Amino acid sequence: MNQLRWDPTLGEWVAYATHRQDRTFLPPAEYCPLDPTEPGGFPTEVPRESYDIVVFENKFPSFTPDAPEADGEGSALTPAAPGRGVCEVVLYSEDHYSTLATMPEGRIRNLVEVWADRYEELGALPFVEYVFVFENKGDAIGVTLHHPHGQIYAYPFVPPRPKKELEAARSHRIETGTCLHCDLLAEELDDGRRVVAEGEHFVAFVPFYAHFPYEAHVYARRCAPSIADLDAAERRDLAGVLKRLLVGYDELFGFSLPYMMAMHQAPTDGGDHAGLAHFHVEFYPPNRTADKLKYLAGSETGAGAYVVDVLPEETAKKLWEAVEGAGR
Amino acid sequence: MHDEPAIKKEREAKDDGRYIIFFSFEEEGEAPTGDDEG
Repeated sequence: MNQLRWDPTLGEWVAYATHRQDRTFLPPAEYCPLDPTEPGGFPTEVPRESYDIVVFENKFPSFTPDAPEADGEGSALTPAAPGRGVCEVVLYSEDHYSTLATMPEGRIRNLVEVWADRYEELGALPFVEYVFVFENKGDAIGVTLHHPHGQIYAYPFVPPRPKKELEAARSHRIETGTCLHCDLLAEELDDGRRVVAEGEHFVAFVPFYAHFPYEAHVYARRCAPSIADLDAAERRDLAGVLKRLLVGYDELFGFSLPYMMAMHQAPTDGGDHAGLAHFHVEFYPPNRTADKLKYLAGSETGAGAYVVDVLPEETAKKLWEAVEGAGR
Repeated sequence: MHDEPAIKKEREAKDDGRYIIFFSFEEEGEAPTGDDEG
């Protein structure tokens, strides 16, 4: 059952997908459902002996194109709606033990093509207002499958965080006439202390207002609304900067760092988001040290106010050193 | 130098009706499968 319920106190939808309780949970490596299907072996999600990059509909989707009407549920104050959307799984590689950080840059470049393809195809669906590309990596994030993969949620609404970001960008444009993200990037480059990797077309930095100690944002230098708007040179450079940042993340504490990756870009709701949406990728690693995690506890969850016990300038320096060290 | 990689996209239906899309590439200096460093 896929259903949306409106929370009028926060002004946002909550998605219910009750069948997800039964999804596959940390199977042994030899029974990974994301590996290729070996001859005579158990059938996995991929009915081929080998593959490059694969996208398929999630078996346990949070949203489905044919979600039933929410008849009889909700009220005028708390309406319910069908959880109509698309959930895809993106398999980065057939190599069960690889990660985005350990893959050749060329493969990440190919992934950029796949992400752009999915943004365009899913965004063209009449019921899709936002295409959200993301990855959950590592036990600390709660992944249920270790095979290198990401996900795409094609939402029937613009989700709260990107919506809030777009509203801030709109206010900034009304006030200054300029793009909020372009101005933020200019300030980061001018300051320089939190920049961790620079390419010709993309820049990775720990933002001045990072919510997680080692949070990093990868911004397009040009005000491109979406990944589909990037030209070939920009796509190649995005892969290069992502590779450098992720290798640096793994170098930071000497192990494959867990993280959440989120791409923010223009909604596909038919609105004009030029000059407001600015394609960028955000990473939120939960580690504050090698063996201590940042939890979203009372203040963060109950009040929405993040408290971070280290300044971004300090963590950015360590992350920059890790990026540079890994590159030598 | 900045040419887009040649992309091949094959869409199929799985046994349960869900779609699956196979992407393969013929550029970027790597074989289609199996050569990841990790």
